[in-house]
Amino acid sequence: MTTPSVLETRGLVKRFGGVTALDNVDFELRGGEVHGLCGENGAGKSTLIKILTGVYAHDTYTGEVLIDGETVRLESIRDSEAAGIAVIHQELALVDEMSVAENIFLGHEPTRLGLVDHHKMYADATALLGRFDIAVAANRRVGDLGVGQQQLVAIAKALKSDSKVLILDEPTAALTEQEIDVLLDIIRDLHQRGVACIYISHKLDEVFAIADRITVLRDGTTVARLDACDTDRDEVIQHMVGRRIADLFPLRKPDPGDVALAVDALTIAESRNAPPRLKGISFEVRAGEVLGIGGLMGAGRSELLLHLVGFFGHRVDGSVQLLGQPLALTPRGCVDQGLVLVSEDRKRYGLILDQSVTFNLSLSSLPGLTRAGRVDRHSEARICGDYAKSLQIKAPNLASAASTLSGGNQQKVVLGKALMTKPKVILLDEPTRGIDVGAKREIYDLINQLTDSGVAIVMVSSELPELMRMSDRIMMLSEGTVGGHFTHNEATAATLLAAAMSTSHKEQAQP
Amino acid sequence: MTRPESVSFRSLSMLIALVSIVSYFALYDAAFISPRNLSQLAIETASTAILALGMLLIIVPGHIDLSVGSGVGLTGAIAAVLTLHYSWPAPAALSSTALFSIVLYSAMGFVIVRERMPAFIITLGGLLIFKGAHWLVIENSTVPVVQGGQSNLYSLLTTFYVSPRVSLILAALLVVALAAGAASTSRQRKRQGIQTDDEQLFLRWFVSAQVILLAVLTMNQYRGVPLSALILASTAFVIHVITQHTRLGRHLYAIGGNEEAAIISGVPAETAVIAAFAIMGTLVSISGFLQTAFAGASTTTTGQLMELDAIAACVIGGTSLKGGRGDVIGVLFGALIMATLLNGMTLLAFTPETKFIARGTVLALAVWVDVRLSRR
Repeated sequence: MTTPSVLETRGLVKRFGGVTALDNVDFELRGGEVHGLCGENGAGKSTLIKILTGVYAHDTYTGEVLIDGETVRLESIRDSEAAGIAVIHQELALVDEMSVAENIFLGHEPTRLGLVDHHKMYADATALLGRFDIAVAANRRVGDLGVGQQQLVAIAKALKSDSKVLILDEPTAALTEQEIDVLLDIIRDLHQRGVACIYISHKLDEVFAIADRITVLRDGTTVARLDACDTDRDEVIQHMVGRRIADLFPLRKPDPGDVALAVDALTIAESRNAPPRLKGISFEVRAGEVLGIGGLMGAGRSELLLHLVGFFGHRVDGSVQLLGQPLALTPRGCVDQGLVLVSEDRKRYGLILDQSVTFNLSLSSLPGLTRAGRVDRHSEARICGDYAKSLQIKAPNLASAASTLSGGNQQKVVLGKALMTKPKVILLDEPTRGIDVGAKREIYDLINQLTDSGVAIVMVSSELPELMRMSDRIMMLSEGTVGGHFTHNEATAATLLAAAMSTSHKEQAQP
Repeated sequence: MTRPESVSFRSLSMLIALVSIVSYFALYDAAFISPRNLSQLAIETASTAILALGMLLIIVPGHIDLSVGSGVGLTGAIAAVLTLHYSWPAPAALSSTALFSIVLYSAMGFVIVRERMPAFIITLGGLLIFKGAHWLVIENSTVPVVQGGQSNLYSLLTTFYVSPRVSLILAALLVVALAAGAASTSRQRKRQGIQTDDEQLFLRWFVSAQVILLAVLTMNQYRGVPLSALILASTAFVIHVITQHTRLGRHLYAIGGNEEAAIISGVPAETAVIAAFAIMGTLVSISGFLQTAFAGASTTTTGQLMELDAIAACVIGGTSLKGGRGDVIGVLFGALIMATLLNGMTLLAFTPETKFIARGTVLALAVWVDVRLSRR
């Protein structure tokens, strides 16, 4: 026998209404191992984690959870904490205004005579930080720390009660390369101390760098349990998507027409007196063409798109022309001229979540639906129905609140809202983030249909395969400047990444 | 506009609350449900409800207006001084005061959206400034809306009753118009190929017709439909159309639901909020005229605390203070509940201190129930 399991699930089944989120999931975490948990969005990873951390109470699912071989009933988050399971979420639950020590002991403050014992709290926090070699002072304000240091504080917080299982849910989403290395070192160190980790990440390189074993979930079931040394990226991806990667992307047959959007020497600052955020950006997109924009996080991709639709920043210099006309500086003007944005953050910039699907779909197209001052609800319902049908939006009905839809369907609503304005140019910011494989393919097909009908598309993407396969040309941004332009055939992962990092050394030399 | 199931559930709980309050008062004093008192109640409800309907347009996009109570006092006072001291004909005095109020509130809306100042602070300033201006205008005295023993358009606002015969004709016309509207909706839906629930359309028409006829028949037993009630009904109709059937309404709900998404979708957010404040200005003046006419004169306390009644009516009616949620029917229920409470307690000779405590308790209870219901 190998090491006994510290945490195990047998035959977990979890349903939400008619939807089965988990279907017979068997998962096993052995003592002291790092276990990678992989799967597309919607595969059931978060549901599994929520069961393990007691967010979903014992009675709401069927199947068994075992800790150290004993069946347990986890009724609440506290039960799970008491059983030694700690979790670090993607969004850090830290209070910016409080100190590191206050954050670590939030909700568990040591007290003396009913008052918070600050001396003990700072001493304990310092000892805890020292134990994990985290070089952060306990009295620093958390808001003043970098994201990487905040992450380390979150780990210290999670581990303060000697947990034996640590769950890391996409911990590196917001970290720089260096910070990721520090984090991986800490996990290896925990591994030495016998803490078992469940490591959830979309970045397979990290998973392979650290995991001993890998479990792959797809559509709520366990499809593979692999030893990391016996497998490779491609096998894991194949298990995750259930088909070959080549089938994920449709073929592009570009047929570029006239220039639709021309951006010349654009320099943008956050506000009138701020230093420039983006400098000397120039590019063109032709009708029927997809221009991909890549770059590292913080390169200014989303800011560029938000600026083009008149929502972000102050234009220091440069010009933007749509079909030969200067582009308006307000979102309303841009919509009228035929430029729309489908944002990466659909909850923040895309949807009115409490309102119906119809309300959201028609929001940008109301002028065309107004007769004698009144919104013609009947033709609105018909047109929205048509769009919902052609985009295959799956909703109980079109009067349902947008918040009740799945991520992929919400994304289709935002797309439908943009399409209903009959745009000439569509800016797509991470169009497939957080949606499942099937819906991804539908969105790629839609991109092809749109370009076939003469629409120009600017697509920002962090996923290199998506960028390389769906773009006719690619522009890489690097720290607010253009790092390079590539044609579809020139682009390789290596050249794109080199361009994404091209200016970072210069910048670091003169802070 | 919002989820239909929760709305009907909420309306039902409001209806139950209203019925229990009415039965309580009716059991203690049958005079409460006399046609005379119910007509009186309609007049009293009008000024609060009209103000609350304006407040709905401000709260839906996520703002607030604390100045409207003082605004009611100020506009009522200006119109009274113009008619009594400057001998303006009442129609001229009322319309120019209304115009002034529209400009005043638009300006306030403009400052709020353009300078990105919190509405809470700007309108709190308005509350104090308008109150001072009100007292300045009436020179801390009592200014009647008309010379003793006479009547003009101003005083008639709350004393004129449409004769029972004309009331009945108006009610019949309204019922027919509603039926025509429902029939046209059904036809339109069929033509556009959308599912139509004719049974539900009929039921809705039937219930509305019953309520309208019952109300008119009851008030006809006294002196007919009060003019104030007609003004309230028309205002409610206009605000309903604005919120449910116009672009402005859509825009206000979108701004309250998610302002950033609304702006990126091309919603002219600043214009929409300024427009809402302009409409608020109109309704503040109408409410000011009704409130002042009802008291017979502008005094230093006219309109006092009415901003809180208006906000309470919205909140009781299911309007979310965070914005994005609320409708006319809910606000009318909320205003009716607040006005009924006050009227009933006055009739039963409750002391002023009890009245304040009771109204506060009802407000807190209503919000608590709402929070509990929406948590499900």
